[in-house]
Amino acid sequence: MIIDWQKVSIKKLAAIISGHLKKNGIEAVLVGGACVAIYSDNKYISYDIDLITNSSIKKIIPVLEQLGFKNTQSRLFENPQCRFLIDFVAPPVSIGEKPVSEFNYIKTRFGTICMLTPTDCVKDRMAAYFFWNDLQSLEQAVMVAKRNEINISEIKKWAQKQGEQEKYRIFLKRFKQE
Amino acid sequence: MLEPVLGNSTVEKVLFALEVYGQVYPNGLAKLFGISVNGIQQQLSRLEDGGIVVSLMAGRTRLYQFNPRYAFLKELKALIKKAMQFLPQKEIQKYYRNRTRPRRKGKPL
Repeated sequence: MIIDWQKVSIKKLAAIISGHLKKNGIEAVLVGGACVAIYSDNKYISYDIDLITNSSIKKIIPVLEQLGFKNTQSRLFENPQCRFLIDFVAPPVSIGEKPVSEFNYIKTRFGTICMLTPTDCVKDRMAAYFFWNDLQSLEQAVMVAKRNEINISEIKKWAQKQGEQEKYRIFLKRFKQE
Repeated sequence: MLEPVLGNSTVEKVLFALEVYGQVYPNGLAKLFGISVNGIQQQLSRLEDGGIVVSLMAGRTRLYQFNPRYAFLKELKALIKKAMQFLPQKEIQKYYRNRTRPRRKGKPL
């Protein structure tokens, strides 16, 4: 397969990387901004492919080198021809203190992407909005919520548990707006 | 105190300071503890790689704080709090009671 690293889309790259890792016995979950980009059909543009795996970086280095990605900093991988950065975020996969055990699998001809569900992706963005008052994260949560099937009652319950009813109300208002 | 678990005393000091002051920066901690900035930075990078702390820029200074999204934060903070109860008073006063309330620019410290 010939890959044009300069023009590759984030979804295609996530699929190529996930597929290649899996072929080499490394299971990884896509989290963060790349999930937002995929679920928002690139309305939000991210240049980070954040992955979580229990495999060691030592094991990952030779595998990603086969695709031209070099380990440039502790958990970062870069390919000089590619604008995307691959970051292996420290495990576990969690939303706050709760482990995530249900994932979404997107099959493509380049590989299968194992990623956060749209509901968890919304929660993940809202967590950043709750903790840092990051309005960009709120906008991303709304983008994902509007374009995907989400479990709104689960999000409401979770937000209440975090003591963030007010910010949840702001999210809901934006979500229901045209 | 927690050195056998954490691996070294610098990271223990960094975690105690984060618990007390909320936000820290490498130069400030180096001055406070009389340790090289490199040593502090190494430990903060290790904690950041592990998802335990996050950093953000304030002007030209990189500030570090606990990552509120870290899955074991509640348990880690409980352990730190417990360990701090065993610190000698002298050490608490020296390192963990620095002024954190505001002071108008120009007033002598």
